[in-house]
Amino acid sequence: MLSRFLSTTAALSLLALLAFRPAAPAKIKVYLIGDSTLSIKEVKAYPETGWGMPFAAFFDETVTVDNRAQNGRSTKSFIAENRWQPVLSELHEGDYVFIQFGHNDEVPTKRSYTPEVDFTANLKRFVSETRSHKGLPVLLTPVARRKFDDAGKIEETHATYAELVRAVARDTNTPLIDLDRSSQALLQQFGVENSKLLFNHLAPGEHPNYPDGREDNTHFNELGARRMAELVLADMRALKLGLIDHLRQGAVKKTVDPQAR
Amino acid sequence: MFSTLLRKAAPVAVLGLLAFTAAPPPPYKTKLYLIGDSTMAQKVRQTFPETGWGMPLGTFFDTTVVVDNRAQNGRSTRTFLAENRWQPVVDALQPGDYVFIQFGHNDEAQNYPDRYTSPEDYRKNLIKFVTETRSRKGLPVLLTPVTRRKFDKAGKIQETHVLYSATTVAVAKEYKVPLVDLDRLSRELLQQFGAENSKYLFLQLEPGDHPNYPFGRNDNTHFSEMGARKMAQLVVNGLKAQHIALAEEHLAKPLPKNAVATPSNANAQPTTP
Repeated sequence: MLSRFLSTTAALSLLALLAFRPAAPAKIKVYLIGDSTLSIKEVKAYPETGWGMPFAAFFDETVTVDNRAQNGRSTKSFIAENRWQPVLSELHEGDYVFIQFGHNDEVPTKRSYTPEVDFTANLKRFVSETRSHKGLPVLLTPVARRKFDDAGKIEETHATYAELVRAVARDTNTPLIDLDRSSQALLQQFGVENSKLLFNHLAPGEHPNYPDGREDNTHFNELGARRMAELVLADMRALKLGLIDHLRQGAVKKTVDPQAR
Repeated sequence: MFSTLLRKAAPVAVLGLLAFTAAPPPPYKTKLYLIGDSTMAQKVRQTFPETGWGMPLGTFFDTTVVVDNRAQNGRSTRTFLAENRWQPVVDALQPGDYVFIQFGHNDEAQNYPDRYTSPEDYRKNLIKFVTETRSRKGLPVLLTPVTRRKFDKAGKIQETHVLYSATTVAVAKEYKVPLVDLDRLSRELLQQFGAENSKYLFLQLEPGDHPNYPFGRNDNTHFSEMGARKMAQLVVNGLKAQHIALAEEHLAKPLPKNAVATPSNANAQPTTP
């Protein structure tokens, strides 16, 4: 009796599995590799948000964003921890790899420090190996930190390493999203005070994840992460990447219903 | 071949089942039911970045609390009941569970007859939610409807729910229900942000900003991710101020590295290792 019940159940679940299997259209994967400014955050870090998180909401169902970015990683440590090879072995023709490093490469006191020559070589490696798998690399300069001078002018925080990314993009003919530059412009537009609204700035008692508050000028809150993702999107459109044919087609009506819908 | 496979698979499945039944039942988690409207509701991907304040609420609590967000876009107390959305909550309630009740936006909408609820009926419905929650030994919490973004020319925030907020406050007083005056608290927050900056709390987008809103958006009722979080924060702090156990004993515990304030020279350095 019991075993017949189980056999029936097993047969049914097998049928259910089969029913789901076919008709899966070839999906485009967008791999994100990089550091904490784009990575997926655990609930314990909320409201800290990586820009890769809202980025995933831009695309229709033909695209899957696979965010492999990791807190604290440089090009060197990302490779050393064997985080690149798995991406490479999964890459299919037409998949994208978005590459944004620099924050942890450029700090000589960090273990993750990557000298300039190695940084360039690692970026070139990401690009050429992506291409050898018929993938499409996209290079991004490291998103800006919030740093203003006394006159309220935004300061460069990645001058050297952002320039190295630009040079690799030029040398290898890779689409470049100059996020360092566009995010500096956005921060300048927000200004010294308001730009805090983009970062993980919390007063004591605001969120139990940060009981004593937070004043983080590198990592974003939800708003900042989305605005950075929107900057990336704007550049994708300017570059006319094929990926923009797979954006969500917003069905939301033009007019705003003032009522709580 | 096919049936052999199944027969082989079956014992394995039985073992799997036994392994689960043998384990001790997991400790009961306090449920926090949210009933209300779109300002609180869980949103779908198609409307992101619109965010209901019930979505980030769970991040404020530790793992002994589970938020069950039953709030629905466009519902008034009347339609929530008529669609049989309340009875399932009552049936599921366990002693010690909470029910957060926030309606009003659609109850007060006289130009939407399919939603409108008279103040008298709104009052009756709130009382029903409260008494039926208590009959199951649940703990009701009443909230006044979160404010809309409406400023006068001088930049002063305007009340947008006068009557229905007052009705909610009156029910809370009469029935001795913990009250979060979210209408007042959110107006204070919006005033603090000011007419311009308060836009960041709402679903305000330029055309082209987000593929979900190709025409942009100028919504002064529904929140952005940050706005939703700030509203949830007002709710949690409102409960804490009244020494509600939920907000005193079950708040999320910080990671050790986040348990202390960041040094003031943290300006240009990444703080997450």
